Amino acid sequence: MALKTSASRKGVAGRTNGADGLDTIPLRYGDDPYVWACWLYYEDGMTQGEIAEAMGVSRATVNSYLAEAREKGIVNISIEPARLASLTIAQELKRHFGLADCLVVPNDDDTRPLIGRLGAAGAQALSKMIKSGDTLAVAWGRTILSVGEHLQTGPLQDVTVVQATGGTTASFAYTPELTAAAVARAISARCVNITAPAIVGSAQMHDMLLAEPLIREQFETLARANRVVFGIASLRPNSTIHTSGFFETVPLQHYLAKGAAGVLAGRFIDERGRPVAGPLDDRTIGISLDMLRDIPTRIAIAGGFDKVPALLAALRGGYVNVLVTDAATGAGILRADGVTSLDGKLSQRQRSVPVANSYRTHVKKFLNNPNDVVEEMLDGLIAAHRPYIETVGTSRRALVARNGPRPGKVGLVIGGGTGHEPCFVGYVGKGLADAVALGNIFSSPPPDPIVKCAVAASGGAGVLFVYGNYAGDVMNFEMAAELAEEQGIPIRTVLTTDDIASSPVEDKEGRRGVAGNFFVFKIAGAACDRGLTLDECEAITRKANDRTYTVGVALESCSMPQTRRHNFEIGPDDMELGMGIHGEPGVSRERLRTADEIVDAIMDNIFKEMKAEAGDKVAVLVNSFGATPLMELYILYRRVEQRLAAKNIEIEANWVGHYCTSLDMVGASISILHLDRQLTELLYHPCRTAILTIEGHETNGAARG
Amino acid sequence: MSETAARTLARMFERMSEVIEAEKDHLSELDGAIGDGDHGITMSIGFKAVTTALAGMNLETASPSDVMSTAASGFLDAVGASTGPLYATGFRRAAQALSGRDTLDLPAYRDMLTAISEGIRDRGKAQRGDKTMLDVWLPAAEAATVAVANNLSRPAFWEAVKTAAENGAAATATMIATKGRAARLRERSLGHADPGAVSAAALIKAMASLQP
Repeated sequence: MALKTSASRKGVAGRTNGADGLDTIPLRYGDDPYVWACWLYYEDGMTQGEIAEAMGVSRATVNSYLAEAREKGIVNISIEPARLASLTIAQELKRHFGLADCLVVPNDDDTRPLIGRLGAAGAQALSKMIKSGDTLAVAWGRTILSVGEHLQTGPLQDVTVVQATGGTTASFAYTPELTAAAVARAISARCVNITAPAIVGSAQMHDMLLAEPLIREQFETLARANRVVFGIASLRPNSTIHTSGFFETVPLQHYLAKGAAGVLAGRFIDERGRPVAGPLDDRTIGISLDMLRDIPTRIAIAGGFDKVPALLAALRGGYVNVLVTDAATGAGILRADGVTSLDGKLSQRQRSVPVANSYRTHVKKFLNNPNDVVEEMLDGLIAAHRPYIETVGTSRRALVARNGPRPGKVGLVIGGGTGHEPCFVGYVGKGLADAVALGNIFSSPPPDPIVKCAVAASGGAGVLFVYGNYAGDVMNFEMAAELAEEQGIPIRTVLTTDDIASSPVEDKEGRRGVAGNFFVFKIAGAACDRGLTLDECEAITRKANDRTYTVGVALESCSMPQTRRHNFEIGPDDMELGMGIHGEPGVSRERLRTADEIVDAIMDNIFKEMKAEAGDKVAVLVNSFGATPLMELYILYRRVEQRLAAKNIEIEANWVGHYCTSLDMVGASISILHLDRQLTELLYHPCRTAILTIEGHETNGAARG
Repeated sequence: MSETAARTLARMFERMSEVIEAEKDHLSELDGAIGDGDHGITMSIGFKAVTTALAGMNLETASPSDVMSTAASGFLDAVGASTGPLYATGFRRAAQALSGRDTLDLPAYRDMLTAISEGIRDRGKAQRGDKTMLDVWLPAAEAATVAVANNLSRPAFWEAVKTAAENGAAATATMIATKGRAARLRERSLGHADPGAVSAAALIKAMASLQP
């Protein structure tokens, strides 16, 4: 109901319309008094009395029209999904942990920093709870300082705010003193500071200070607190706890080693919320965990995934009875504590019902012994591609290009797990990669075959390793690089990181390498074959990787030959966006859309990062993950071409087909290489491999695999 | 002792291989939830290769250190992946820690567990709380250290180590992965125990069951 009527209210309808006393329903309401009543009520904002007058019926009739319209589904009142989700999560948290109250901030607004949103929500919660005459203990921290900055209350009398711990160095903005002062100022309360350091040098000093009448008096105020507000810190490496100067580093390691999961008001708890003993205990001046737990209203304000274990620990330990957090963290806490009912409650649509297992439990495959698939595949592959490749010695996990390596040329070694055929072995041959090291299915090769490849590819000018950015590959190739360098072969490494869906742009280096490997290998191979130096080859390969952008979508997951089951299930109406090439889940599960809409989502993502201008040239790869046929790939390519044409970006060359697969996964990826003159030349540099042969310079998208 | 220390270690590896074989499908299933579903298979291949490599040794004359370094290369050459370098480095460190020893008392096992956990930590550059196998190996090694310091009996020592390992594996369900493939899932990894941690706990349980 987006249209607004422009006619004046009284002119829309009136008793004057019907000389015989019957009102005619204006045409646009289609003879339906319910729609008419609803329109006037919800869209025109008339009162029920005004509507009764306009329609010439009684007010009671209007009331019943409106009620029945909801039952009939003419009017749907909906709560915005993100808000509904946060309400659901808050309710679940309250129920699961027996909280007095819980406020969950929706995650629909990622434009504002989480600390600020939590601070605002915490301020809201606190303003509802704080009463005249209260004594409020306030712990230190960024989030609690933000509460102080957002806090507004009605007129309150005789409120005392007391600092929950001793003080710290003022090298940061959220010291205990400043945090307590900010809260006190916001509610015009008396502020009692603890005028001792939060951590002192020795237990004796601690006892001496607490014996001081002034500090004892401050502690008596603290002991009277009937409400406390505090943050929860994790001990994760990125936690402010390490940089705040509140703790010394060495004792922190001690607490970590003893299983500390979180810190509240300077005290350490383990994953079940039990106190963790350590060297700081006798030297910490501030509220104790027992004192904290005795306070009737205990408001914790914290959010962020890294705090899930710490929050869970605090909830389990009973330190919190009012929780303020964000929806994603709240859902994380529930999941982490084994609450599984949440997903059902969160999705308003019908959850996809798993397909009956009885129909088929195993995916059919051409197999002999499932444990021999890699070996048997290598037998076939080495035989089939004999013109291009041969084994290094007797190792079939190290294959070298015939006529590839030559003296004075930088060697190019690629590699990775199997299951991606024709990647990686299809790109070994003259003018492209010199050697390939192969692992088990989706598993990096061990260092040994990689070293063999490096030796076989070496022509005395150094060797370039190019492979996808995965923890396993990085460890094995690094070990191999050390071993090869011990043999006097200089090694450089370029990790492919083309999957832009796998990490945000700030964490570009953490992205994984997927089908865009194809372009990076091609450019690297050409640079090596042209006799460039190791430095130059590395730099050009890096540039190719930086200018390659890939996003994948899976419709069905793949199945391993050993299990012949799908690695995981994608619901009948769902797709997995941001899919990688190892059968691991993607970045988000979404409703299946049309081919054009899927391409649009992918291309929008790519355009966000690729700084291509009208007239620029690109190379396009539309790649099947294994089971998606060419017919569908061409449908995708069609839309890719339209989107690029609309921006006046020219497709210099394209490849459509199976170039980097994930066993039998149903799905596809789109890769774009943003060309410049140098990359274009190298793209057309001749090569001869099992999968890609380029004879020489061609133009106008005629390069063919 | 009726059998050599090397033979005891070899028997321990055999038991580990049996346990992995029994848990193979379960581990792959766990991995399917947050990884690529092959962890059980990888571990099975690795430990079978270790057993094969150890079978080729003369356990009457070999030292415990020899057994560990043979296990390291056997494992690494068979699997690669990420578990390959991690366990191979761990076992190699254990070989160094056991070098020059020919009896396996509790301090030797403590040193072995510590060396394995440090090797894994250094190779993977992970920390406790990253939702990895380290969340099992580190607490297990620490429990071993405490047990030796408190002069615990052999059964109590292994009980403490096993309990620490099991608790560590269970705790990974509350963690967000920051290493390996699961790291890309962010909060979707919550509620799922880390398969590498679960298999590590199974290995330690296998060691403890022999109470060597």
